[in-house]
Amino acid sequence: MEGAYNALKFFVLNAIFIITALIFTTYLILTVFSAISLRKYLRKNSYVDYNSIVSSPLAPSLSVIAPAYNESRTIVDNIRTLLSLYYNNYEVVVVNDGSTDDSMEKMIETYELEKVNYYFDYRLPCKRIRAVYKSQNRSFKKLTVIDKRNGGKADSLNAGLNVCKNDLVVSIDADSIMEPDALLKLVKPFMEAKDKKVIGAGGVIRIANSCEISGGHIVKVNLPRKFLPRAQVMEYTRAFLMGRMAWSELDGLLLISGALGMFDREIVIASGGYHTNTVGEDMELVVRIRRYMVDHGLEYDVVYIPDPLCWTEVPTTIRVLARQRSRWTRGTLETLITHRKLFFNRKYGKLGMLGYPYWLMFEYLAPIVEFLGLLWFAFLAITGRLNWPFFLLLFGFVYFFAVSLSVWSVLFEEMTFHKYEKRRDVLRLIGTAFLEPIFYHPLVMLMSIKGNFDKIFGKNTWGAMDRKGFDNKKEDPKANT
Amino acid sequence: MVPILMWILFCGRSSLLYGQDFLNRYSDRVMIRFEKSPAFVTILYGVIIYSIVTLIVLLIIILLNRNRLIRESKQRFYLNEVYQLKLMDYIFEEEKRDEALQDLKQIASNRFSRQLLIDQMIDLSINLKGEIKETIRDLYLVLELKQDSLKKAYSKKWHENVKGFRELAYMNIREASERILESLNSSNEIVRMEAQIAMVGLSDENPYHFLHFMEKPLAVWEQITLHELLIQHDLKVPLFKQWFESENLSVVIFALEMASWFKQRGSGKAVIGLFEHESEEVRNAAYRVCGQIESKSSLPAMKKVYENESYANKLEILTTFGKVPDEKYLGFLKSVLDMEEDVQLQILATKAMENTDEPGISMLIKLMKSKSEYKNYQIIIRHVLDGRIY
Repeated sequence: MEGAYNALKFFVLNAIFIITALIFTTYLILTVFSAISLRKYLRKNSYVDYNSIVSSPLAPSLSVIAPAYNESRTIVDNIRTLLSLYYNNYEVVVVNDGSTDDSMEKMIETYELEKVNYYFDYRLPCKRIRAVYKSQNRSFKKLTVIDKRNGGKADSLNAGLNVCKNDLVVSIDADSIMEPDALLKLVKPFMEAKDKKVIGAGGVIRIANSCEISGGHIVKVNLPRKFLPRAQVMEYTRAFLMGRMAWSELDGLLLISGALGMFDREIVIASGGYHTNTVGEDMELVVRIRRYMVDHGLEYDVVYIPDPLCWTEVPTTIRVLARQRSRWTRGTLETLITHRKLFFNRKYGKLGMLGYPYWLMFEYLAPIVEFLGLLWFAFLAITGRLNWPFFLLLFGFVYFFAVSLSVWSVLFEEMTFHKYEKRRDVLRLIGTAFLEPIFYHPLVMLMSIKGNFDKIFGKNTWGAMDRKGFDNKKEDPKANT
Repeated sequence: MVPILMWILFCGRSSLLYGQDFLNRYSDRVMIRFEKSPAFVTILYGVIIYSIVTLIVLLIIILLNRNRLIRESKQRFYLNEVYQLKLMDYIFEEEKRDEALQDLKQIASNRFSRQLLIDQMIDLSINLKGEIKETIRDLYLVLELKQDSLKKAYSKKWHENVKGFRELAYMNIREASERILESLNSSNEIVRMEAQIAMVGLSDENPYHFLHFMEKPLAVWEQITLHELLIQHDLKVPLFKQWFESENLSVVIFALEMASWFKQRGSGKAVIGLFEHESEEVRNAAYRVCGQIESKSSLPAMKKVYENESYANKLEILTTFGKVPDEKYLGFLKSVLDMEEDVQLQILATKAMENTDEPGISMLIKLMKSKSEYKNYQIIIRHVLDGRIY
């Protein structure tokens, strides 16, 4: 018995150490690549005049697709923001996904909508479209509203893709706030393409909790007052400015956030549109369009830009956060299973050899390994076999490394976009970096484990995301168009 | 902090000595343990020390950087205001000119403030033309800001080169032309592009001469910038059809777009000639341009090639038929509506019919009333005739 225990102890200790060392080395490498990529991007774009895109006849036309389900509280303001984006040639397609609240009525009333005889083709499968609405008021001529039966976000995006007209599509959550120049920044990589076709581009998503918002625009950026959203700010800063930036540089980007992404419409349609059987449709789409390009022998690029382009509200309660994280875990797992063929498949280049294995081992499996480590720790502590000095050493190793990584990301933010103007906010963010590994990270890890159980037991729902709504001021939407 | 100070105050020197002794003993113990421990533990200690040191360094950098940002932002705000006033004095008030010049010389004494002044002058000259633009250029030379731009153009850092090229092109300084010419073949894509743009700005006679020798593709972004330069710098617009036979496809497409933008109707025949081009993209641009320059003479050729074209090009051909409405082609458009199964093609064909006004619309109304076994015309025609769908 003692022999078996010793063998297990030897294995677990070595395994935990090797995995942790591997993860940390990977993070260090990603930090370096991210720094290189950020520097290159900033130098390249420091003198760019985005206004030239607005006035140019050569700039491509865009379709912004915003699915909305029971967004009654925010829908009018959010459409107003979408209609006042800084771009010359674009349309806004709002898809009402069978809302049970008064979203549709509010849109009809505010934007003077009426049913039109819209003829379109179901090029992508989606639930029945009941009607297409356009405004009688020419000030809102950019706006098209689709009213369809409820089918989920992916289904709504497919409906939008069927109806929209332009070559490049922007998918956005109707409850997010886009920066006015977001389209200009997102479209630029598509226009810079030379030998390779750019098929997708994503940007940084920022957290709007506690920010001052008026007229559908961020007026003042504040760090969230509550710890939970503040910890998510830390997490997002790390993920977007370090992780995704590096993966873009390494050509292994697997995810463009569903909150905001721009895609080549024909490639999306040719590869089958959004997958409706997954809760991680954003990641699944990126992997699929990339696979499509490789399978058809086409040169391509998926680009990620570090500019903060979109602001979103994050969960403020553990209950809602748990739902969101469970969904993210299920989505990741579903995509990884669907595209398992990529795993160390040389045909798919860096996507198969680097991107996929990283997501499998570090994004998906890391919380599981961590959870097993915790169980092992609990077992040792309860049975009195825990070597406390060694445990503290191991804990210090993990803790300080994690904090230093977070502070690196704060530095990146400070060196690049420094959205938090108050010194106090930056110090609080650094303080959060010290607290996050103890009070927030274990929570997220447990939520991820719950996501795995949810998947095993067949839970396949999105789960409601209680939004507080951004704007309390009621303004005339016509004022900004 | 307060309890520690109190403790030091009350316990005095002896406590400090005790503290020092304790630290010495502790560090010795750590060192002994460190030396005896296996590599595994050494690594853990190493990473912890590395992380703590990194943390401290990063915190210092973040705080210093924040201070620098605040200082620079204040300075920028102040200097921009002063520069604006002084520049206005220099440009518009003859009697204050000398005083403004002296002040500017005095203020723009370091690199940061000189760069801000250059940026301000460029911003101003973008929006101005003629004599005033020349006055700004003279001031740029008098203040010897040219040296700063030249230094950047010859710097080893590519991002400085780019900035230098831009400034020299805006201020029409040709002293670095050789350097810019060299950079036309740079391995760095951005430097290459900026060198092209600078050359356009600095050439009087044939600003787009370099297009003849261009081997690398011209991205849409570069095309936009080159087009903007033509308008902004009031450059002589060349006849773009000279590049229709270029081997570089992106150059052909750019030339087509520009021919259309500057309404070079004399290029119509040459554009029609490109309907036979082997590149699908070039043909697509040619069809589009025919629509933009409203070339009626291109319609028979387009009708001829329609059937064998790709889907994207069929869309473009029908769009052009919509832009250049001609009732002679109602039969052709009706046959497209009958034959094609794709919704977009049907809609574009119907729109083109509608655009011919009376004959097209009455034909569509007749079709709507008829009951075809093959196609539900009603739904397509209703969509097209619905004025609310823009």
